Amino acid sequence: MSDESNPPKVILLVEDSKADSRLVQEVLKTSTIDHELIILRDGLVAMAFLQQEGEYENSPRPNLILLDLNLPKKDGREVLAEIKQDPALKRIPVVVLTTSHNEDDVIASYELHVNCYLTKSRNLKDLFKMVQGIESFWLETVTLPAS
Amino acid sequence: MATTLQLSDQSLRQLETLAIHTAHLIQPHGLVVVLQEPDLIISQISANCTGILGRSPEELLGKGLGEVFDSFQIEPIQSRLTAGQISSLNPSKLWARVMGDDFVIFDGVFHRNSDGLLVCELEPAYTSDNLPFLGFYHMANTALNRLRQQANLRDFYDVIVQEVRRMTGFDRVMLYRFDENNHGDVIAEDKRDDMEPYLGLHYPESDIPQPARRLFIHNPIRVIPDVYGVAVPLTPAVNPRTNRAVDLTESILRSAYHCHLTYLKNMGVGASLTISLIKDGHLWGLIACHHQTPKVIPFELRKACEFFGRVVFSNISAQEDTETFDYRVQLAEHEAVLLDKMTTAGDFVEGLTNNPDRLLGLTGSQGAAICFGEKLILVGETPDEKAVRYLLQWLENREVQDVFFTSSLSQIYPDAVNFKSVASGLLAIPIARHNFLLWFRPEVLQTVNWGGDPHHAYEATQEDGKIELHPRQSFDLWKEIVRLQSLPWQAVEIQSALALKKAIVNLILRQAEELAQLARNLERSNADLKKFAYIASHDLQEPLNQVSNYVQLLEMRYSEALDEDAKDFIDFAVTGVSLMQTLIDDILTYAKVDTQYAQLTFTDVQEVVDKALANLTQRIEESGAEIEVGSMPAVMADQIQLMQVFQNLIANGIKFAGEKSPKIKIWGDRREDAWVFAVQDNGIGIDSQFFERIFVIFQRLHTRDEYKGTGMGLAICKKIIEGHQGKIWVESNPGEGSTFYFSIPIGN
Repeated sequence: MSDESNPPKVILLVEDSKADSRLVQEVLKTSTIDHELIILRDGLVAMAFLQQEGEYENSPRPNLILLDLNLPKKDGREVLAEIKQDPALKRIPVVVLTTSHNEDDVIASYELHVNCYLTKSRNLKDLFKMVQGIESFWLETVTLPAS
Repeated sequence: MATTLQLSDQSLRQLETLAIHTAHLIQPHGLVVVLQEPDLIISQISANCTGILGRSPEELLGKGLGEVFDSFQIEPIQSRLTAGQISSLNPSKLWARVMGDDFVIFDGVFHRNSDGLLVCELEPAYTSDNLPFLGFYHMANTALNRLRQQANLRDFYDVIVQEVRRMTGFDRVMLYRFDENNHGDVIAEDKRDDMEPYLGLHYPESDIPQPARRLFIHNPIRVIPDVYGVAVPLTPAVNPRTNRAVDLTESILRSAYHCHLTYLKNMGVGASLTISLIKDGHLWGLIACHHQTPKVIPFELRKACEFFGRVVFSNISAQEDTETFDYRVQLAEHEAVLLDKMTTAGDFVEGLTNNPDRLLGLTGSQGAAICFGEKLILVGETPDEKAVRYLLQWLENREVQDVFFTSSLSQIYPDAVNFKSVASGLLAIPIARHNFLLWFRPEVLQTVNWGGDPHHAYEATQEDGKIELHPRQSFDLWKEIVRLQSLPWQAVEIQSALALKKAIVNLILRQAEELAQLARNLERSNADLKKFAYIASHDLQEPLNQVSNYVQLLEMRYSEALDEDAKDFIDFAVTGVSLMQTLIDDILTYAKVDTQYAQLTFTDVQEVVDKALANLTQRIEESGAEIEVGSMPAVMADQIQLMQVFQNLIANGIKFAGEKSPKIKIWGDRREDAWVFAVQDNGIGIDSQFFERIFVIFQRLHTRDEYKGTGMGLAICKKIIEGHQGKIWVESNPGEGSTFYFSIPIGN
């Protein structure tokens, strides 16, 4: 699917757990979509990356953000709020990917204009399906405004 | 009997209304002369002047006093009168010449009466052999010295009557005391041995009518040397200046009222001497001396007695104050002990009921009741529980603020007649709404120490069909008067009761505060625990997921490289982790069931059951279960929690079906105050010994290989139902299926 005019899609995964991010990484390895996965471990770094500050001066703009809610330094909820309030960032689809079933978290996330809230499946096979689903839907299926 | 009493009651009322001080009769042993100032002209004189002075009233009226006494005796009298020093005249020794060379010596006493008339009273002076000069002083002094040695009031009273009798030589000397209602008691007596004792007798207020009482106050010493002496009128009867009878209130010689004399005669008294004891302007009591025969009491001796009376009385007052103080101290001690017991018992009711003597002693009562909430505890002599409950109802309606007390309850609460012997007197202290402390006192008649057989009273009293006053009859009358009354509540006793109330209120407030603090702590630790449960389970899930996922990843990616053993091991690991995840979920669910956060709404149970069944669709299909649902009501419940209960019970029914294909019936039944729901299965059943155990957290009856599950389901159900103020239970026989019941109260 990739060619010169279509650079690889940038997926930003903000997740503090190495085990979890590795798992997503492993799942994406099986993907057919040409992509570049960037993994960041806390909310502060994630914001710096997105706003191209400091060492992230030349960072690419992600095509999809996968966001954990419980993050060190800056909470996932805050990161989500800042993205959605920033005119330059708010069009980037953000998918919250979390282990929390908490109803309040779901409501709060949608009120912050999350694009999609997903609870991580405990079953590996289901997790595979889920991540592949996200990828194919948000990177291929949907039409997004040109950046 | 009733008629007799009524009659005498009437005659007593008459006594009260008569104006005793207007009587113008005097006792025959002395002379009364009414003088016109400034020349001391005799305007009235008692008719016995003929006998005493040998000159008729006609001879003396209109003449100067000099007609009787020498002018040198008159001059100092006149000069003192003009100087306004009338009291310095009393007494004056005066002598008069009677026929030839005979002389009579008089003790003369002057006073101006309410009309401003000068009254001169002359009593023949008797020389007394046993009374030396200053004799009265020594007598009184000896008596007072004896009094000072007495430690308590009772002994003090005894010494008073003994000393007065010794000084005067009367046959009987009594100390008579008036209570708050002016009824009298003989509190001490000294008498000739052969005479009947009057000690302990009670006399009604009417025995000494109000006018007589006023006279006692005006004239602190009254003497009647001869009860049988014929009273003498003044001549003329009406004073020429005022045109009315002379007011003899202050007179020593004034004749006793006829009724009083009859009274004395009936008692067999020939002579009497009465000393008034006055405290704060009120007649506190009397020292009453009786002699069987006429008896002359010399002026000096009377003065000595009067002096004695005054001094004695100041001592009695002081002693009484001390005794009141002692009583107060005693009450304070009861109070202190009760307070201590209440505090250490932690429960004030217990503190009070475990110390009945203190509780009763606090107010000098014979019975008490403590009403706290629904509890009613009776102590000592009280009406029965039912009667006390009615009384409490009546009290509540009165809306008593601080204290309510009466010494005659039946007057305002007629039912009290039924328990007069224990509760004619009531002292009530409201502690809070519906909470009371009550103290009871019996009718006085139950407590009085009888001075003799009261039924003897009638024999002596009715003469010629006329009711005569007699101590015995007086006693009977007194009985009529004090019927349905208790001894009065003293101010110090009421104060003690109020102090106890204050202590109880403080105690209750303090306990409530401690309880509130405890509740706050509990709430906090409960919240902490809940947070802990939530965080623990959430944080535990993360590493478990990790183990599960990576083990599965291993299997997925390397399955071709693994042998069967390795695959089994991976299976075991995945199963173990999965069980642990379920357990954590269940604990979390259990911790989340909370009455405080239950959302009680009007809930259609039919919908709830449908939802539970929908959640179980897969299992129902797999097991081929037949489910029959009866018609369901609507109740007040938390929909999600209620759904969880049905889901758990139905799932259990399917799970424990055994070999048979599961058949499950669900229905609801209206009971008196609750809806009872049932989930019945046709499964393996439960032995009755496990009926309790299955609702306890983590209790399982089967191995995990037999039946999956964490043993939490029924514990969660129980917690939910109890949160709804309901109950859950099971009926079952092994092999015959089980029926789980739970109730949801209607008024929830």
